[in-house]
Amino acid sequence: MIEHAPWLIVWGLVVGLDLVSVAQTMIARPLVAGTVAGLIVGDPAAGATVGGILELFALDVLPVGASRYPDYGLGAIAATATASGAPWLFGTGLGLVVGLVAAYGAGVTIHGTRVRNARKLQGRAALLDAGDARAIATAQWRALGSDAVRALAVSVMAIGLGMAARRWVPISSAAGVYLVVVALGAAVAGAANGVIRVTASERWFLFGMAGGIVGVILV
Amino acid sequence: MTSGMVRTWLRTLLIQASWNYDRMIGIGMGYASEPMMRTLPGGVGGERYRAAMARACAYFNAHPYLAGLAVGAAARAEHDGASGEQIQRLRQALTGPLGSIGDQLVWAALLPFSSAVGLALTAWTSPLVGVIAFLVVYNTVHLLLRIWALSAGWRGGLQVASQLKTPLLQLGMRVGRPVAAFAVGVAIPAVVAWRLQDFDAVEVPRILLGAALVTLTGMIVLRRIWPSLGSLRFGVAVLVLAFLAGWL
Repeated sequence: MIEHAPWLIVWGLVVGLDLVSVAQTMIARPLVAGTVAGLIVGDPAAGATVGGILELFALDVLPVGASRYPDYGLGAIAATATASGAPWLFGTGLGLVVGLVAAYGAGVTIHGTRVRNARKLQGRAALLDAGDARAIATAQWRALGSDAVRALAVSVMAIGLGMAARRWVPISSAAGVYLVVVALGAAVAGAANGVIRVTASERWFLFGMAGGIVGVILV
Repeated sequence: MTSGMVRTWLRTLLIQASWNYDRMIGIGMGYASEPMMRTLPGGVGGERYRAAMARACAYFNAHPYLAGLAVGAAARAEHDGASGEQIQRLRQALTGPLGSIGDQLVWAALLPFSSAVGLALTAWTSPLVGVIAFLVVYNTVHLLLRIWALSAGWRGGLQVASQLKTPLLQLGMRVGRPVAAFAVGVAIPAVVAWRLQDFDAVEVPRILLGAALVTLTGMIVLRRIWPSLGSLRFGVAVLVLAFLAGWL
């Protein structure tokens, strides 16, 4: 696992930047971030499993500008680093715990970066208010650099947390079953709650659930 | 699109890079607008250019994909010789609608819909197919929306509000959310069934019952008792309890 860590960190940097600063093409979604992290470490099934479950959690988040929200993409990478190569119940259960903690921690750092951006801009307000294009471009690129440093630092910590958890946290197979069942239940609750709240279409959600259950039975 | 518009469009991809609590995406707006301001009378560094840049980097907030509409409209108004006061009023007037439309269209419809497509295909076919489908569905609409926004803003100038009544945009706002809710509803049983495949068939009913109980508890807590808790904190809390239960 340690040999894949540098590539996971690079992937974490890309994912961390995509979340807000660069393009928002949604490679920072846990389903994408986790599956690609799984491909990097040679265990795409583990990445897709933790990424898929964290994707359900992420459906509870409305990433509106000023709101504070977890960074589930970096969480999915940390979860994959924990889960890869382990027996699936053990790896997935522990990976999801690590992924949720990492997602929360990474979300806190976004708020910190925004506060720091505001403080730095206050010091250059005169130039900005005078329409100095160079000052505007400098402010923009420095802020982007700060976010890159944030994403890199959080990736290192999150992946380190995953590797440490995998090595030192004692866990039985019974605990693995509990963790996966509970995480799945909580993820479904999060997705259902989020989608009903955000779309205000409870009826259509329930129709979809009924259709999905029929589909699962038929397939 | 002129070369200035193409540069501006590329820069709108970074519009949130300097997001902060004072000017929100104001600096990103200024940075994105700059290539379109170079052709103002007086050229780069001229009086009109500097005044336009000062206005462009002032406080602004909107959905990032639709912010290009305000960039284009303000740039057009600057070229048409509108007064500074008119341009500031235009920016203020666009803040609310662009945020609201973007949130309804993208965060409440396109994103959950694409996510549901990705999850369902991951469960029913393979993770790679799911991920590719998710990114293609989402980004086709996302990138077209960004292109449309900048072009419509430039076409509209001070009259840009009429562009927001485009039938396709209105249709998306009307049907997007119910379709997304339906799609997520379909995807959830698919994901659950996909994950249950790895359990022993004898254990599945017990496991399904356990997961259903957690879901029910979560729905009651998150919707009725403590809505501000959020699914992440609820998830961590129940996982810690489960971990202790399994360990004991």
